[in-house]
Amino acid sequence: MNPNRSEEILKELERKAKEKEETFFQHIANRLGRPRLHTPPIQPVRGVPSFWRQYHLDFEERISLFMANWENLGGVAKRFGCKEDLVTFIRNEAETMQAKKLIRWQHPVLEQLEIEKTLPKADVTIWKESNREQLLQKAAEADIGIVVADYAIAHTGTVVVLSGATKGRSVSLLPTALMAIIRTEDVKTKMGEVLAVIQKRNGPSMPAGIHFITGPSRSSDIENDLTIGVHGPGIVYALLLDE
Amino acid sequence: MGNLEPNSPLKERISLALNNEFLRNAVKFTTERLRKGKQTATDELGNWEEWRSYGQAIRMHTIAHLDYYLSQFVNNVRAAGGFVHFASTAREAVEIAMKIMEAKQAKSVVKSKSMVSEEVHINQALEEKGIEVVETDLGEYIIQLAGETPSHIIIPAIHKNKKQIAELLSQVAGEPLPADTAILAGFVRSKLREKFLSADIGITGCNFAIAESGSIVLFSNEGNARMVSTLPKTQITMMGMERIIPTWEDLEVMATLLPRAATGQKLTVYMSAITGPKRSEDGDGPEELHIIIIDNGRSNQLGDPEFQEVLNCIRCGACLNACPVYRHVGGHAYGWVYSGPIGAVLTPVLQAEKEKWGEVANASSLCGACYEACPVKIPLHDMLVYLRRRNVEQGTTKKREQWGMKVFQKVASSHKRYRLAIKAGRIGQKFVARKGEIKAKIGPLKKWTAHRTAPALAPRSFREMWQDLQQQQTQIELDPTIQKRMEEMLKKRGDQHESEQK
Amino acid sequence: MKVSIFITCLCDAIYPRVGEAMVRLLHRYGIRLHFPEVQTCCGQPAFNSGYWDAARESAQTIIQAFEDSDFVIAPSGSCVGMIHHHYPTLFQNDPAMMKKVNNLIEKTYEFSQFLVHVLGIRDLGATFPYKVTYHPSCHGSRLLGVKDEPYILLSHVKECQLVPLPFAEDCCGFGGTFSVKLSDLSGAMVDEKAEHVLETEAEVLVGLDMACLMNIAGRMKHKGKELRVMHLAELLYEGVTMHG
Repeated sequence: MNPNRSEEILKELERKAKEKEETFFQHIANRLGRPRLHTPPIQPVRGVPSFWRQYHLDFEERISLFMANWENLGGVAKRFGCKEDLVTFIRNEAETMQAKKLIRWQHPVLEQLEIEKTLPKADVTIWKESNREQLLQKAAEADIGIVVADYAIAHTGTVVVLSGATKGRSVSLLPTALMAIIRTEDVKTKMGEVLAVIQKRNGPSMPAGIHFITGPSRSSDIENDLTIGVHGPGIVYALLLDE
Repeated sequence: MGNLEPNSPLKERISLALNNEFLRNAVKFTTERLRKGKQTATDELGNWEEWRSYGQAIRMHTIAHLDYYLSQFVNNVRAAGGFVHFASTAREAVEIAMKIMEAKQAKSVVKSKSMVSEEVHINQALEEKGIEVVETDLGEYIIQLAGETPSHIIIPAIHKNKKQIAELLSQVAGEPLPADTAILAGFVRSKLREKFLSADIGITGCNFAIAESGSIVLFSNEGNARMVSTLPKTQITMMGMERIIPTWEDLEVMATLLPRAATGQKLTVYMSAITGPKRSEDGDGPEELHIIIIDNGRSNQLGDPEFQEVLNCIRCGACLNACPVYRHVGGHAYGWVYSGPIGAVLTPVLQAEKEKWGEVANASSLCGACYEACPVKIPLHDMLVYLRRRNVEQGTTKKREQWGMKVFQKVASSHKRYRLAIKAGRIGQKFVARKGEIKAKIGPLKKWTAHRTAPALAPRSFREMWQDLQQQQTQIELDPTIQKRMEEMLKKRGDQHESEQK
Repeated sequence: MKVSIFITCLCDAIYPRVGEAMVRLLHRYGIRLHFPEVQTCCGQPAFNSGYWDAARESAQTIIQAFEDSDFVIAPSGSCVGMIHHHYPTLFQNDPAMMKKVNNLIEKTYEFSQFLVHVLGIRDLGATFPYKVTYHPSCHGSRLLGVKDEPYILLSHVKECQLVPLPFAEDCCGFGGTFSVKLSDLSGAMVDEKAEHVLETEAEVLVGLDMACLMNIAGRMKHKGKELRVMHLAELLYEGVTMHG
């Protein structure tokens, strides 16, 4: 098929959608027995209950609750006072795992860690603007993917990563193991705080992908047996850094 | 949708399930596990009732203003670079999807779990066009290989045992695989990895759609929904038009309710919010995002005071796990894609041909466990009664039942006839009652006595005893403390009436 | 003070001894129950099957029967739940009837509710030297919210060994016409309930709804298992008259 034909089909679909749109909404309004609504309605209840808004943990409480939750999920949680210890840990784990291929975000924190230097024999791919297929292939082959969490949530044991040019979604998804580096100041008490900050920083246009990761990929679909690493990473590290 | 029929009457489907011991044990085990998980998770969270009320209030408000929020959502999806399509029926939804397939010259599709896509039978349409479609949720993949439909919203292959699964997967592998969960899951991981990386199109469902930003939110544990929304160049999201929530703030409420109610998790392993296609500088994510908003019978519930609330459902499956009927028969007995109490309501209200689907509303003892379990407080047990009333109004109930209810009406509308009926019953039972019991499996009692012994009518009914009983109750002084309490209650009642009149 | 008994059709025709126990128990506190004869059935069998016209006619006998009562008590959480929860639905389009319905609702109590909340009685001074398990019927506990009351009353019964029933809150499978329409399914449900009751090794099964108890007792007998099945009113009455 020529590309024009393809364009034509999509244009035709788009035309139909625009044509149908208002009838679709009007039908809803008719069913609801009132005129079509164009101004924002007042929400009598919006967001979480008030007691939850007040729920707040101290810094140290947040860190320890996050780590406890992550470990309960079957993940590894470690806290490091300095970059050097963190790098040493990553190197040791990679060597124990006999990891040959790694992929990581291009991120200031990761630049400083100089992982490539510590693991000279490993093939380390850096996610930055380049050929899509090649990056995906690299991510799919990788033993370890390394990202820097944008935020973490103590209450649920969750790591939050936002997509971007240097922050591929696949890095936290395709490799066998995931290492998420978390700056301890980014650990929040609850989801609402993270959602609010993301909205505040990004304004009306959100990043294309916001991913909340809570432990290793899992399934209980076969006879209720818990299986780890079904599609996403089965080994997950939350590496907290205090600097 | 209308072209589909239940493959056999409700009674036969139930009987089939009751005779499948593996199924019954598996369903019991699974639902108990999920119920316990939910209990633990809600206890741990605390204030569950308040969370439920918030969830209910948000859903109620959204549905009551659906035209506004839906159009806000649509505008924001477009602003983020996505396409939106509208489908009034299942057929339209499929047609739109197939047009996109044509434009993209798609040969292969990967799908993550989506109940609405089951509802519109997209897989069938794709296969007819020779397009390969692969379900990627482990459970869905298994039942796709078996050529079946899901039997549970959350755990679709609840009815399959390890050996059966090993046999299905061995056929795919071309070599025998052992019935070992880790090995089977590992095989599926590598097999589906190829599919994810090579598929032209990814189809997802949508747990929530956030109006204020045009984002869709997907919950999954395996990571397949992330794969489907990250790797293929084109993503199609099928969403029921009621999936909307107004704001990100509301998402926190839903994210608190859904996983806890569904599996007892604090949060599913993955929760992904997708806003538009990938940005031009991004290395992965779909280049094109199409969202198909599907009505398919939903709008008929709007403005209906009895059923509008069914659109509040967040598809957690908690009502299935709590339901004593589901516990014994599993999902297939309900006949369509939705099962359990929510299925017994959704099926007849979404399907156009009521006479074919109405009887599924009888598959409930009306115990109310579904309402108690529902994280957004949908009164499913009441809706089931409303559906039964509709069946009566439409004249689709059995003649024998209609006749029986006429007799009831005659007897129960007059205490004189009622008294006579008890007497007549006592004469009638002389032939079958022995020592206050009836075991005989004959006449109208046989359905009951097949499983239980029936009690006989008492030699004297309460109303026949009353005269004597009343005479024995001598006039004595009412306990003064009790008298005071009762008088206070009466006074309070009177005061309340007065203030209401003002 | 006019306190009336709503006997419910099942207790009237099959289990009059439950009504008798209520009458005699309350008489000990000086309450002489009143029995308006025009009452028949609350209408639930028809209502739940979708025959609302029939249900309304039946409900009218109840509304009429208790118009001049100050309090109404019934030995069934399900029938009282019907009044509280479904009568407003049945008569929603009839303002005159709605007024009567609301009057009925505010004075109608299930037996254990009445004892605990109206009379303020927790300890009837009963003794019952048996191992007992309690089945909380769905409509009483879920529709009407009767959850703690029976436990409060039972916990004050001397020498009574109360053992928890596994999966207590699961439906026994009765469901009115459900038990006949889908009798095999209902049979499977009651069989499981009976098994759970047997597991407790209780000598007595007690509850607040004779319909559910009739169902469970019927299954027990069918299986050849002997176990006393009683309404709480019967247990308490026996407890204050025979074992004390």
